[in-house]
Amino acid sequence: MKWFLLTLSLFVSMGAFAEQDRYQFDNNKQAILFEELTKELRCPKCQNQNIADSDAVVAKDLRDKVLVLVKEGKSKDEVIDYMIDRFGYFVHYDPPVTPATLVLWVLPVLIVIVGFGFIVIRQRKASVKQTWSSDDEMLLAKLIEQNKRQEQS
Amino acid sequence: MNRKILALAPLLVFAFVCVFLYQGLFANPREIQTGRLGQEMPAFNLPDLMQDNKEWTNESLKGEVYLLNVWGTWCPTCLVELGYLTKLREQGVKIIGLYYVQGYDADFDGPFNMQSLRTEVTDMLQRAGDPYQFNILDLHRTLSLDLGVSGAPETFLVDKNGTILLHHTGDINPRVWRAKFAPIMQELK
Repeated sequence: MKWFLLTLSLFVSMGAFAEQDRYQFDNNKQAILFEELTKELRCPKCQNQNIADSDAVVAKDLRDKVLVLVKEGKSKDEVIDYMIDRFGYFVHYDPPVTPATLVLWVLPVLIVIVGFGFIVIRQRKASVKQTWSSDDEMLLAKLIEQNKRQEQS
Repeated sequence: MNRKILALAPLLVFAFVCVFLYQGLFANPREIQTGRLGQEMPAFNLPDLMQDNKEWTNESLKGEVYLLNVWGTWCPTCLVELGYLTKLREQGVKIIGLYYVQGYDADFDGPFNMQSLRTEVTDMLQRAGDPYQFNILDLHRTLSLDLGVSGAPETFLVDKNGTILLHHTGDINPRVWRAKFAPIMQELK
């Protein structure tokens, strides 16, 4: 059992992420901020990776810069603004609401509203109250009678 | 009437998707613009690549329209565009090189050596053409970072007052020059 657990622990520890170890921080808060920022900032070269994952030279430069800024005591927004000043909105995975990106926010809401609107309207149409008078009853009886006669003849 | 509109809806959706996808055909995700567009060249003070004790600053570049071309000998696309850039120089376009050192990866360069870099650069420019008035060495890529450079080649068009008018990622060829640079150059004349 002991050997089994030991072997198992070998496999578990294989997923450890060693990248962070190379960076030295003054306190834990800085380390957490650094990790958040490098996950949220997008690599301008390897465009579908954040700068924590990317091996591009520019991603390394950005990581180093984030480290310096974080150690200087800059807040999260200040670091993000610093990067946006240089690389444009592209560099942040959370784009701001601008006329060009408005459609990203509006379209899903619009689709949901239109979809529910459609369902509600259909339901209302289906649940319209039926009117049934004694005249209708008589007409129905007559039609059934007619039908019977036709079948017999 | 209502039904007719409803019947047209799929067609409208289809048309919308067509337009959306069609423009996607011509969109280039690599074409990202620096946040510095329309702003002044960021302040810097960097050494010349070829001469000792020579330094360049954002102030010393002012006064003339120029192209700032980010390049490196490690970059194959830069090699390709050197020929056309040299032609542009012959037509009177002022081109300044910003040498982007791909330094941190041992697989690429090993430790930095100024002498071997100069030899390499001279070699390549002799073979492929030399479009540069001079080259600025950005050893730690500080100016590149301030300019929002993501790699090489990239080119900035800067006017007399030091304002960045254009940022192009990728090589410059006759087509790119005609479409993007020539109209602005014409205006500046």
